[in-house]
Amino acid sequence: MTIAGMVWRNLFRRRTRTLLTVLGISVGVAAVVALIGFAQGLEKVWQEAYKARGTDLVVTKVTSRSPLPVPFEQRALQEFLDCPSIEASAALLSDMMGVEDSSAVLVFGWEKPSFLWDHLRFLEGRAPESGASREAAIGRIAASSLGKKIGDIIQIEFEEFTVSGIFESPALVENGAIVLPLEQMQAATGREGKVNFLNLRLKDPPTGVAEVKARLEKLHQGFSALDSAEVASRNSGIEIVRAMSWATSLLALFVGMFGVTNTMLMSVFERVKEIGILLAIGWRRARVMGMILLESLLLSLIGGVFGLLIGICIARALETADLLRGRLKADIGPGLFLVAMSLSVALGLLAGVYPAWRASRLQPGDALRSE
Amino acid sequence: MELRGVVKEFDDGRVKALRGLDLTIMGGEPVAIIGPSGCGKSTLLQIIGALDRPTSGEVLFDAQPLQARRNLAAFRAREIGFIFQSFHLIPTLTAAENVEVPMFEIGLSRKARRARAVDLLESVGLGHRLEHLPAQLSGGERQRVAVARSLANTPRLLLADEPTGNLDSASASRIIELLVEIHRLHATTMVIVTHDPRVATRVGRVVHMLDGSIVSDGPIETENRT
Repeated sequence: MTIAGMVWRNLFRRRTRTLLTVLGISVGVAAVVALIGFAQGLEKVWQEAYKARGTDLVVTKVTSRSPLPVPFEQRALQEFLDCPSIEASAALLSDMMGVEDSSAVLVFGWEKPSFLWDHLRFLEGRAPESGASREAAIGRIAASSLGKKIGDIIQIEFEEFTVSGIFESPALVENGAIVLPLEQMQAATGREGKVNFLNLRLKDPPTGVAEVKARLEKLHQGFSALDSAEVASRNSGIEIVRAMSWATSLLALFVGMFGVTNTMLMSVFERVKEIGILLAIGWRRARVMGMILLESLLLSLIGGVFGLLIGICIARALETADLLRGRLKADIGPGLFLVAMSLSVALGLLAGVYPAWRASRLQPGDALRSE
Repeated sequence: MELRGVVKEFDDGRVKALRGLDLTIMGGEPVAIIGPSGCGKSTLLQIIGALDRPTSGEVLFDAQPLQARRNLAAFRAREIGFIFQSFHLIPTLTAAENVEVPMFEIGLSRKARRARAVDLLESVGLGHRLEHLPAQLSGGERQRVAVARSLANTPRLLLADEPTGNLDSASASRIIELLVEIHRLHATTMVIVTHDPRVATRVGRVVHMLDGSIVSDGPIETENRT
């Protein structure tokens, strides 16, 4: 027999209470897995978008942390773009706009011709023509949710466009979006000559990045050049989602932790006499404390494992729900598992400290006399 | 073991359980403590066993005051074996595991703990009940497991609080024989609190208590005359 064996059996004395406590911790861990998974997923879809477009650096207004930064004059950066390290540049204007009955659909205006269009795979039709034809390409998910096919008229704010093609992109965020030629987007939003991102493709990305960043800082103050990971992590929308997800998950975890404390305290009070026996036959206080802490830890570990499974199931179920299908995927991997389990273990130990201390402070004589 | 002027009070002095007790027990001596309920027998046993501290007075073991010992848990683990009236076995552990519990404190390996527990249970006639939980054992069997547990770390002092109090006559006799046998084989010092006259007749010395004081102390013949 080992202490761990003793502890394991103690958990089965009151199965229902143990199960409910484990469930309490599971909810917290599941919240971490699902919510943080989605927050990371959101960051990842934006990173994917930049990677898919073949963008090495994104130039934007330095002060703006919004996912849709303040537009600036495209001509303002002409001098900067005249640089041998830059292979190609593509300007972009994006906004959330009212499309038909949907109040907020992501609409892009992409410079044409530019490398931005290269990664789109047209399932039907073709890319929109520049000029006076007023055409729009729509992503696979947007087409299905708006019920549009080739040749249909689509109303974006107060302007009407003809659907020239339906595309699929390796970036999830683009599959739910509409893409127009840049000048038509500028006209539709009354921002002629303005863009809010400049996508750069470099000749030699590993060495070129620092050089181009330094050049931008020198020539145009108020702008910054970021790589795809930086853009996503500095995105205030993602930051808010991440913060909210952590706040909600931690709250759920703390509730679970207090559940463990409550269970362990009740368990100690119920076993006063038994703990008295252990102390009477010579167990050190530290061993009694360790036993209670181990019970608390074990509850949290089991809760953690269940929480991981429940979190994965919730995330997968939400991914297939109408609201998110094809737009967002939870990014759940070993890193997140480790974080969730570490939190669960740490809170489990914390939850057990007070009950363990109470148990270890019992006087064996008093404990044996107790009824 | 020597007690000098031991006083034990509860409830801020309102209850006086022991009123200045003096008692000396020699190594290897078996002693029975008898007296009516509430006379302080069990309190005395808990103070001898370092489970409780006296309000005043001194308890010496090997001529050393117990209060001066830094680690009373280690002292209890190595020097003292306890047998309680209501057995006090851990309900989730099997008979063998219950016997192993005190051995955690003396650093035996898992295998050695198990082997010793099996030996001890066999010696009390429970070799066939090793894997039974306390709830699956009779009262007499449970008390024999408790006796085996009390011997786990080969203590020099065995303290028994009403060891036959919850047993039928046959089981009680068996436990008494077992204690006598342990004393005969190991010359263990024994202090047995009891109501059972059969226990008292099997030990050499009987201490009679009343209202927290010793009213007589002597060989069984003296006690019988009292």
